[in-house]
Amino acid sequence: MTQALHHDVAIAGAGIVGASVAWHLAQAGLRVAVIDAVGPAAAASGASDGAVSVASKKPGPLARLASASLLYTRDLAGQGLLAGAFHARPSYVFGQGDAEIAALDALIDKLAQIAGPVRVTGDGGAGALPGLGAAVERLVTLDGEGHMPGHKAVRAYLAAPGITPIWPARIRGLDSDDAGVTIDLGDRRLRAGHLVAALGVSTPALFPALPVQPRAGQLFVTDRGPAGTLPGSLTAAAYLVAKTDAPGVLPLPPVVIDPLTTGQFLIGSSREDHADPTRVDFATMRQLMRRAVDAFPALAERRVIRAFAGIRAAVADSLPIVGPLPGAPRITVATGFEGDGICLSALIGREVARMVQGLAPTDALATDLAALTPARFGAPLQEARA
Amino acid sequence: MRDTVLVVGAGLAGLSAATELARAGLPVLVVDQAQAVGGAIHRQPLPGVRSIASGAQKRRWAGVMAGVAAQGGRITLALGTRFGGVDHTGAVLLTGAMNRLIRPRALALALGARESVQPRPGWTLPGVETAGSLQTRLKTLAEAPAGRVLLAGSGPLLLALGAELVKLGRPPLAILEAGRPFARPLAALRLPRSYWAEAATYLTRLRLARVPILTGTHLTAIRAEGGALVAEATGGRRLTADHIALHDGIRSNDIGLPDCATLPVVRLGDCREALGARAALADGRAGGAALAARLLGRPEPAPDAELARQRAAQALLAQLYAHDGAARLADLPGDTVICRCEARTVNDLRALGPSPRARQLRLDGRFAMGPCQGRFCGDWVARLAAADNPGPDTPTPGIGAPRWPARPIAVADLLAATDETEGETR
Repeated sequence: MTQALHHDVAIAGAGIVGASVAWHLAQAGLRVAVIDAVGPAAAASGASDGAVSVASKKPGPLARLASASLLYTRDLAGQGLLAGAFHARPSYVFGQGDAEIAALDALIDKLAQIAGPVRVTGDGGAGALPGLGAAVERLVTLDGEGHMPGHKAVRAYLAAPGITPIWPARIRGLDSDDAGVTIDLGDRRLRAGHLVAALGVSTPALFPALPVQPRAGQLFVTDRGPAGTLPGSLTAAAYLVAKTDAPGVLPLPPVVIDPLTTGQFLIGSSREDHADPTRVDFATMRQLMRRAVDAFPALAERRVIRAFAGIRAAVADSLPIVGPLPGAPRITVATGFEGDGICLSALIGREVARMVQGLAPTDALATDLAALTPARFGAPLQEARA
Repeated sequence: MRDTVLVVGAGLAGLSAATELARAGLPVLVVDQAQAVGGAIHRQPLPGVRSIASGAQKRRWAGVMAGVAAQGGRITLALGTRFGGVDHTGAVLLTGAMNRLIRPRALALALGARESVQPRPGWTLPGVETAGSLQTRLKTLAEAPAGRVLLAGSGPLLLALGAELVKLGRPPLAILEAGRPFARPLAALRLPRSYWAEAATYLTRLRLARVPILTGTHLTAIRAEGGALVAEATGGRRLTADHIALHDGIRSNDIGLPDCATLPVVRLGDCREALGARAALADGRAGGAALAARLLGRPEPAPDAELARQRAAQALLAQLYAHDGAARLADLPGDTVICRCEARTVNDLRALGPSPRARQLRLDGRFAMGPCQGRFCGDWVARLAAADNPGPDTPTPGIGAPRWPARPIAVADLLAATDETEGETR
C-alpha cells in the first residue's frame, strides 16, 4: 500500500532534543513536522537550569558524548544558530567532607581521560572565588563549559525554514510499516516517512515498553538582588555522586546554584520519583537553601519568588535511549536524558538526523552511541496503538 | 499546633471565621501581614491617630472585635506575620513577627480582594498609585497627601475615596469615572437600600466640596511634566495633578494558593469572590461555621442567603459601571508597560507572534515571571493577546498556573523559621 506523505519526518516532542533533530533534518532538505501536546519547551527543557556541563555527566559513554556535544554546541553558537542561546562561562564544583573531596578527585580523573574542551583551571579552597562560605572546603574551577537556557535553544532551532509546527496536538496512536508511519492526532491522521519520538517524560504513553520514568527535582528561583554574583554555576560534588552507578546515601544535599542572565539565581535540586511539577515542600527547600547559603552566603539576602519541580525523564540504567526502535524500522527514539538533554541535544540532534537518513554515525562516536540503543531492553518493542 | 486552625487575614472574613471556629471549640491562630487588624476595609489607624471611619463602619467593626474578644484565649492573633504558603505535606511557613514552620489542622484563607488597575501610558510613573493603597494610607495616617490628587478609573471605590479626602480637608481635583453609573437611575433603584445610603453620603460630601465627577471619561495617558503629572482624558481633557490614584475594580485573590491534599483549605470573603464588606462578613461567619462542622464531624449549617443577595447587588453594580475600557487595550502604544515586575511592554507581547502559548508568554516573553507571578498583569496579558487575535477559534491565552509561593519568601526567613512540624505527621 502506498500513501502520500504529508512530511518526510514527523517529530514527536518540541523539547530541545526534538527541536535539534528537526533543525538538522530541515538543514538536510527534508520536510519536517514537529508535533507537541502543549508547545515548545513545555516540559523539562523549559524547566532546566540550562547548564551545558560535562563535569556532571555519568562517567563513560555519556560523559564522552557530552564532551563532543559541548564542542559542537560551541560550533553552532559560533555559526550564529545558537549565538543568542549559548554563552561560555566557567563552572565551579565544591566539596565538603571526605566523600565529596573524593568525588572531586574522580571528576579531575574523568576530565583528564576525556581530554576534551573542559579543563581544570583551579583546585583550591574557598578563597579561589570571592564570596564563598567556609563550608566550601575544596573548590575545583573548570573552563570550557557554558550555559544555554533550553527554551532559547528550542526557539532558535524551530525558527528554521522547512519545519511545520503542529501544536497543541496529542498523538493518540501510531501505525508503522516498512514505508512509513501513520500518526493519529484524533481529528486527523498524518503520514510521514519516519517518526522520531523525542517525548521525554511522555515516552511511556506511546511506548510503554521503554523504561522511562519521571524524576522530579525541586527548583527555586530568587529575585534580583542588590549584591552577590557568581561568574558561573556552583555545584556541590554530591551532585556528581548522585550521577554515578551506586550513589548510596548522599552525605550532603546535591545543591546547584546557577546564576541566571537576569541577575536571578536558580537553585536545585532534589531527585524524587513523581511527575507533579507543582509538588514542592518546605523541608526540602530548607535543606537545599541551607547548603546553598553555607556555600554562597550572599544568597541569604535574596527572596525565593518561584518554586516548582522540573520533571526529568529518567531511565532505569541512567542512560538515555537513542536509536531505531526494534521491530519498527521507521521509528527512531531519542529520550530519557534525565537533565542531560541541554548539553547533549546538539550532538544527538545531528546523529539522530543521520540515523533517519540512513547514514552511519560520526566515526568516533559510534561505540558510545551504540550504548544508548533501545535494543538493550530487548526486542521487538511494539509501539502502543490507540 | 496540630490542632490549630490557621486563618490568614485579620479582616472581616478572617476574624468572623475565627470567631465561629473558636465558638465551636477549636483553637485558632489568625495571622495578618499588617501591623493592625481590619484588613483593607476596616484598616485601623496607627496608635495615636484618629479614625476616619464612618459611624456605621465603626459599629460593624466593633461588633466583629466583640465576637473575637468573647472567645478569649481560643483565638491567638499574630500581626506583622506573613503567610508563606502551604506545601503538599501540609506544612505552612509563617514569616515576619512569628517566623515558624507549622502544621495546622486546617487552613482558612481570607486575604481580601486584589485591586485591578488597567495599564495605560504613564501608569508606572512616580506619584501614580492605586486607589486602594492611597485609601489604606488615609485610614492608617488620617492624612491626605499634599498637593492636587486626581482619582481615575472605574468603580464605587473612587467615590468613597473622594469623600474621605473631602473629610480630611483635601478634596480631590476631580474624579474621572470611565462608566456612566448614574445614567440608568431606574436600574439603580434595584440596588439594596444600604448601597443607596452609602452612595448618598459620598455624593453629598463630594458635591458640597464641588468635586467634578466626570463620568464616561477615560484617563488615557499620564505624562510627567515640570515636576507634576499631566493626565490626558477622553473628550480632549487635560488635568495637572501631583498625585493620581487609579482603580479599575476589585477581583478575587486566590492566585498561587493551590489546594492541599493533606489538609482542608477554604477561601473566604473577597479572596474567593470579590463581593464587598457585607458579603465578606457573612461569608466569613458561614465559612467558619461550615469548616468547624466539617472538622468536628457535625452536620454542615445551611448556606447564608446574604451571599446571594450581595452577589445580585454586585452584579447589578457591575452592569451600572460597565464601560468599553477593555476594548481600548488594543490601541495602547507599543511602549506601554504591561508587567511592572519585569518591565515588559505591549511591544514585547506582540513580538511573541499570534496566539502565544502560556509557556511562551512566560519563558520567551517573561510575563508573569516576576515576584507577583502575574497576579496583576495576567488578566491584561490574556486580554491583549486575545484582542490581537480575534475570532471564535482563538484559544484563551492563559498565562499558566502561577507557581508557588504566592508571595516572595526571604531566604533568611525560610532558614530562620522555628520548625514546629518535627515528629508531626498526618
